[in-house]
Parts: sequence; C-alpha cells; structure tokens
Amino acid sequence: MKHAPVSPAEAQEALDLIENTTQHMRRALAHGGMPYFLIIWGLVWTLGYGATYFLGADSPKVGLVWLILTTLGTLGSFGVGAHLGRRVRSPRGLRIGLYWLAWMLYAALIIHFAHPQSGDQLALLISLFAMMGYVSSGLLYRSGFLAILGLAVTALIVAGYLLVPSFFNLWMAVFGGGSLIAAGLYILRAWR
Amino acid sequence: MSPFNELIHQPVRLQIMAALNALDDESQLDFGALRDLLGVTDGNLATHLRKLEDAGYIQVTKTFVGRRPRTYIALTPLGRQAFADHVQALKEILKNA
Repeated sequence: MKHAPVSPAEAQEALDLIENTTQHMRRALAHGGMPYFLIIWGLVWTLGYGATYFLGADSPKVGLVWLILTTLGTLGSFGVGAHLGRRVRSPRGLRIGLYWLAWMLYAALIIHFAHPQSGDQLALLISLFAMMGYVSSGLLYRSGFLAILGLAVTALIVAGYLLVPSFFNLWMAVFGGGSLIAAGLYILRAWR
Repeated sequence: MSPFNELIHQPVRLQIMAALNALDDESQLDFGALRDLLGVTDGNLATHLRKLEDAGYIQVTKTFVGRRPRTYIALTPLGRQAFADHVQALKEILKNA
C-alpha cells in the first residue's frame, strides 16, 4: 500500500468513525439478547409470584403455575439464544448457555440440600441465586449494566424479605419481576 | 511509521473492519447483521466485502442454517494486523500535526 497522507482533521474523523462503529458493535454483542431475556424472566417472576400471592403459597395450583412459567421461560430463552446464534457464530454463545445450565444445576442441588423452611425462604433462595447469576455473568462478560441490575434487584429482594415478610410474594411480583421488565424495556428503547 | 492503508480507509470498509475487529478471534458475523449495523444495501456491502476478501483481510464463509443459506464474515489475522497498522497510522498523523 502506498502512503496516502490525509489531513489531521480527516484522520480524526476516521478515528471517530472507528470508535463509534466499535462501540456500536460491542454494545450489540453485549446487549443483543439481554432485553428479551430480562423481559421473559421478569414476566415469569411477576406472574409466578403474583399467582403465589393471590392463590396462597400452599395452593396446589401454585407449583403447576411455576412449572408452566419456568418451562415457557426456558423455551423462550433458548429461542432467543438460537436466534442470536444465527447472527454471530461464536463459541461464546455455547459457553454462556453452559454457564447458565451449570448454574441451574448447582442452584437446584444447593436449595434441595439446604431444606428451606418455608415457601418464602425457597423463593428468597431461588431469587438470590438468579441475581447471583446476573451479577457473575455481568462481571464475566463485561456488562456493567447487568451486574448493577443484579445488585439492585438483590437489594430489593432482601429488603422485601426482611421488611414486608407478609407481602413478600407480592413485593417480588411488583419489584422483582417489574424491575427486570422495566430494565428490558429501557434497553430496547435506549440502546437500539 | 505505520503504513497508511488506502483500501481500508474508505468509510464503509473502515466500518466493516472496525465492526469485525470488535469480535473475538473465534467469532464470525452474519452478513445481514453487518448490513443492519452499517445501514448499507446488500449490493454495496457485497462490493466492499469482495475488495477486502481479495486483499486477504476477511474470510467469507457460506453455509446453511436449516434450509436457509447464510453468509458469515470474519477478519483474518492479516486483516486484523492491517487494521491495527492503519489505526496506528491515523494516530501518528494526529500526533505529528
């Protein structure tokens, strides 16, 4: 390639174009599927905890509601993941999927052997494990937004469990699920 | 002095190289995703990709996902080095101004 001098202004313009494109690309990679995952699981939480509150934690229907919702949430997440996998082919997508599978397995084992003493404690543990996954994957994949969201929702979960134990499930439906949905909608609006 | 690269410096090709450079070494970007990111037409993008491919800067892989044909693009090691050199050349122009 022969040397083709450009003015400093043109060089700066080119560097700005590179920087903008790089940022746009990194944001698309980091947050491409995140809003959809957040909305899906926010809906699962809102509907699941809402049903638990209004039907009563001891109702036999509650377990069925959670089973249906988590199955739909998992299928929806796989659908979003498969769609994203078509846009960027990368071993990273498989690694993220395996990360969450391992996380679900260990969370289920730990909760099983911890023997939570009430429905609220069970809900607390599951929710905290979910947020631990958000924070750790946010740190792992350099998504400060996801890590901070995980910490903020963790604070809401703990506050609800300690301050309003009688309304914990309702609290989780509104503030837990609601926060995830709001965060997903915010990303869709602000980062696209 | 790092080499100034006229082929890469064209604005659309500069953006293509910057977008692909943001991927890690193992990743490939779908043609449609790159087109949407840059806001260019299929034909325009294909023309610029061909020039970069001819120079050995990118690798274009055509495959099928299900029954649909898909085209994936990735930087080659040569392309990554050429892009890094070009960015350095731009910075040196600013530095020497």
